[in-house]
Amino acid sequence: MSLTHLDARGAAHMVDVADKPESRREASASGCIRMRPETLALLGEGGLPKGDVLATARIAGIQAAKRTHELIPLCHALPLSKVSVDFQLDSAAACVRVYATCRLNGRTGVEMEALTAVSVACLTLYDMCKAVDKDMQIGDIHLDTKSGGVSGDYSRADTHPSQPAPLVAPSAEVGRMSLSLASDEVPSVRVKCLAELRERLGTGELAVPFDELASADVAGLKAALKAQDKRFEQLDDRRLLCAVNQSMASDATPLTHDDEVAFFPPVTGG
Amino acid sequence: MIHVQHEAFDAGAEQRALLKGRRDIGAVVSFTGLVRDFNERPDVQGLTLEHYPGMTEKALADIVADAESRWPLQAVRIIHRVGRLAPGDPIVLVIVASAHRRDAFLACDFLMDYLKTRAPFWKKEQTASGDYWVAERDSDQQDASRWDTSLRETSHD
Repeated sequence: MSLTHLDARGAAHMVDVADKPESRREASASGCIRMRPETLALLGEGGLPKGDVLATARIAGIQAAKRTHELIPLCHALPLSKVSVDFQLDSAAACVRVYATCRLNGRTGVEMEALTAVSVACLTLYDMCKAVDKDMQIGDIHLDTKSGGVSGDYSRADTHPSQPAPLVAPSAEVGRMSLSLASDEVPSVRVKCLAELRERLGTGELAVPFDELASADVAGLKAALKAQDKRFEQLDDRRLLCAVNQSMASDATPLTHDDEVAFFPPVTGG
Repeated sequence: MIHVQHEAFDAGAEQRALLKGRRDIGAVVSFTGLVRDFNERPDVQGLTLEHYPGMTEKALADIVADAESRWPLQAVRIIHRVGRLAPGDPIVLVIVASAHRRDAFLACDFLMDYLKTRAPFWKKEQTASGDYWVAERDSDQQDASRWDTSLRETSHD
């Protein structure tokens, strides 16, 4: 394998794509910007001084994708047929995840455009929120998938299978914009998985309809979760702790509609 | 007074603020916990402290109330940081003021033992060979259980 942007003498050059066949190209990239939970809450409520943060960052990402060739020296200018930028507010991890997809029928891949869209959307989020939080951290920017072209399809999930897929059981909704979305409609118990447990399960927050509980206590909630996904068998780990409405609890602790139940590993502060 | 915050703190300034205008305090004990550059692995580059917002403050308030029921305390201040920290950074501050030194020493020791075993904080350490979640220590549990025994003994007096 060689680097296509270097010629035989090692000098940078732009690859001539005139003779490459046109094909449908698509690339998706993602990244995230970590921030304080308070900043994320303000962002979700639209309470930041510069106005609608997500709408602005989306436009910034789309604009950036279209101008990638002006920023990255050896990139071709591409007539993109589609650019989408989406956001997911993850309150458990205190970050905004940014996803971008670019598409065109052409002779060269669009991964640089997708990566640029994610990067500039993240930078715009920083700019829009920096008045209240200067500690924000941008990271984890990477290509997720790429299709079309002679180099073949690529999927990061194939090479990095360690990341657990998000849990989306039929009735357990992964908390996205707001924790209360699911619980407002159906009487539910709100479940939080914290720290290492959240990383192992691949999910931080979900809502379980109250009538699915095997019994109206923590043990019944654990049974309902295990019935939805085998991964919740980890909740049987005896070291694991549980809190109901932010007070320490046990399997026998009774639950009612709209209780907040948190599962977490032994604490390690101080 | 309990604070969970990202910002660094100045232990000296906090102690001065706690003592300001007080003439009844006879002893003040202050403990500051710092990030070490070695732990389960020898090359800790930094750590991220996660907590359970809402419960953390409640758990710390309960621990302070417990201390106040065991010793006659005149003032207590706890600051615990969260977020990313580097080796050498202060993590936690406990200041206890009392009329006499023994109560202040004991209460400060007790507060740290209970904080380490009951307050919902978790550390994830970053090293050159990767990140890992810090495991709980049996010694911390044993330290905390000392206070159960001493309570039982005093109630037998």
